[in-house]
Amino acid sequence: MKKVISKILAVALAAMMAVSMTACGGGSSTAASTAGSTAATSAAGGSAALTFAWWGNQVRNERTQAALDLYTEQNPGITFDGQFSEWADYWTKLATASAAHNLPDLVQMDYKYLAQYVENGLLLDLQPYVDNGTLDVSGISESILDSGRIGDGLYAICIGVNAPAMLYNKTLLDEYGIKVKDNMTMDEFIALSKEVYEKTGYKTDAGYGGGENFIDYTIRSQGQELCNNDGTAFGVSSAEDFEPYFAIYENGIKEGWMLGSEIYAERTVGTVEQSPLVYGSSPDTMSWCYFAYSNQLSAYQAAADASNITIGLSTWPAQNPQLADYLKPGQFISATVDSKNPDEAVKLIDWWTNSLECNQVLLAERGIPASATVAEELNPQLDEMTQKASDFVNNVVAKNCSTISPAAPESSTPLLDMYDQLQEAVCYGQLSAKDAAAQLFEQGNAVLAG
Amino acid sequence: MDKVKTAKRKQTIGQFLNRESVAGIVCTSPFIIGFLVFMIVPMALSLYYSLCNYNILSPPTWTGLTNYIKAFTGDARFYKTLGVTFFYAIISVPLRLVFALFVAMLLVRKSRMSAFYRAVYYLPSIIGGSVAVSILWKRMFAMDGVFNSILKVIGIDTNFAWLGNTSTAIWTLIILSVWQFGSSMLIFLASIKQIPGSLYEAAEVDGAKKPTQFWRITLPLLTPTIFFNLVMQMINGFLAFTQCYIITQGKPMDSTLFYTVYMYQQSFEYYNTGYGAALAWIMLAIVGLVTAVLFATKKFWVYDGGL
Repeated sequence: MKKVISKILAVALAAMMAVSMTACGGGSSTAASTAGSTAATSAAGGSAALTFAWWGNQVRNERTQAALDLYTEQNPGITFDGQFSEWADYWTKLATASAAHNLPDLVQMDYKYLAQYVENGLLLDLQPYVDNGTLDVSGISESILDSGRIGDGLYAICIGVNAPAMLYNKTLLDEYGIKVKDNMTMDEFIALSKEVYEKTGYKTDAGYGGGENFIDYTIRSQGQELCNNDGTAFGVSSAEDFEPYFAIYENGIKEGWMLGSEIYAERTVGTVEQSPLVYGSSPDTMSWCYFAYSNQLSAYQAAADASNITIGLSTWPAQNPQLADYLKPGQFISATVDSKNPDEAVKLIDWWTNSLECNQVLLAERGIPASATVAEELNPQLDEMTQKASDFVNNVVAKNCSTISPAAPESSTPLLDMYDQLQEAVCYGQLSAKDAAAQLFEQGNAVLAG
Repeated sequence: MDKVKTAKRKQTIGQFLNRESVAGIVCTSPFIIGFLVFMIVPMALSLYYSLCNYNILSPPTWTGLTNYIKAFTGDARFYKTLGVTFFYAIISVPLRLVFALFVAMLLVRKSRMSAFYRAVYYLPSIIGGSVAVSILWKRMFAMDGVFNSILKVIGIDTNFAWLGNTSTAIWTLIILSVWQFGSSMLIFLASIKQIPGSLYEAAEVDGAKKPTQFWRITLPLLTPTIFFNLVMQMINGFLAFTQCYIITQGKPMDSTLFYTVYMYQQSFEYYNTGYGAALAWIMLAIVGLVTAVLFATKKFWVYDGGL
């Protein structure tokens, strides 16, 4: 009897294993074939359910969902499943979905992940759709459009132009008669930080966590690039070139005006509502400034309203502001290869890019619309904050900046964490700026070389 | 002729279904299928990935033992997180057991409220592993959190960043773990009640005081339960994830980075999924080893004789 049972079990186990294995192995091919058939039917019927994933904040979530609802209203039959996450979770979620060949039809894409997603063949080439007229990109300037190109393909359409922007607590500084000027040099910024700290007790939050943006900025201001052209090594020639960057933190912590990074043991970096700029109970745990991007002004202002703070914006400080500053095609929209309705997905991208109605809902929360025509028509309708941000981009940054560095190569992804860790080590006094620079140069180059 | 055949076949099908083994297999099949699909297949895949260079975004390529070699020879954070995890498990588990036993001893006395108290003390175990409690914990130990406010009330005016200091952050996690003593407490309660009253009566006749009774009767007879709790909790301790993931994210300076969270980061944040899978299998080996060591010590301190 026992033998019979174990035999049956063994057979059952083997059978199930075989079934599940083939199910896994065959997954991609079945997906591909169904994709083909649904595409055919949808072209005829014009109905589809699309998923759209983005990262963002409360303001963005509401506006994006409203825009998608509007599209459904105008195109009955097209429905959306909008999925939003925090920045940090977003990329984890996307990577997992890609493993299951289950990426959303449309994804919000970032400049620093673009190369990686294209190199792994996960994004749809939009060039054929531009050629056949489905996607109209005539309103977008060539240089902005090019930022979504890799090789011969066009993989992402810019949906917002931004610039690095230092947000600051204007209410506080006005109260003490402290002025912030645009295009500050690093020395002026440090002097200002000290002044603010002495007068108000508020400290300086200088790009914690999102380390790669500010290190890139600092290196640019030295007339260098963070990575070389093919992404196999740093663009700087010696460890000493990294030292000024780490020295800012080393000196700031030593002299007391820099916010200790322990605050970020309690809060999530990049989450607007938790930023020390807008949230905190005493000057010890608050910052007078935050290194963000121009499009984030509205969200920060919305979060700051609760504390009756007005947010001002200026450029990030740099040794040479003109070399360092850049216009950033801040956000992109891409269709993925897993989309079962690529035609419908691309139509949405077209609408997003060229429809004034759509952008009247979105209200440039992601940045100035890439299409010059739409941007111009939209401008008078923007709220005060967004206009302020858009004026900042057009009148302050655009007049005094250099071209953005090429998209980060895939090989540089592990570095993102390395920057943050070394920065943290310097802030905790475990490494000197010199040692951190040396470690970064050595280990980072090893990672880039593969 | 045909009729007879069908009748015979029917009978055999009926008989077949009525056989004990078939009934058993049918009834257990939901579990077996679930086990295969959600345990064995993922485990097999993870073993395969651990031998590959795999980044989720593109298909895996076979690299043999490279991932395992990298963990032991080229990854300082591997040892760091292992150290943190051992520290956490070795401190928090015995503390939790002592606490559970202490509360169990208090609650074993019969009173009208004891059932209520038992339920109340069990509560943290149910909610303690949840995300909500983790977030609560994070806020409690923040610089402007409840903990510092309480200190202020008792006269210690401090703005100390409990979560931001490399030597205190891990303790907030340990305290959270100790607080979830409920399930061990219930098991202790049950086995304390199993101890025959006659032993205590005899001890009283011999003039033994309460503490002596505890050390000489209760504790020795509880050793099998303590052993069980120790093994189960130790395994749980090594696999703790949520608390670290939500509360500290390993900060500051990796001083609270649990092995499991590091594994998750490698897999899903740095896209070294093959390496993450290898870390998972190393963990399995370590947990197995620790359990084996605990079992080896069993004969020295666990009472297994009859009464």
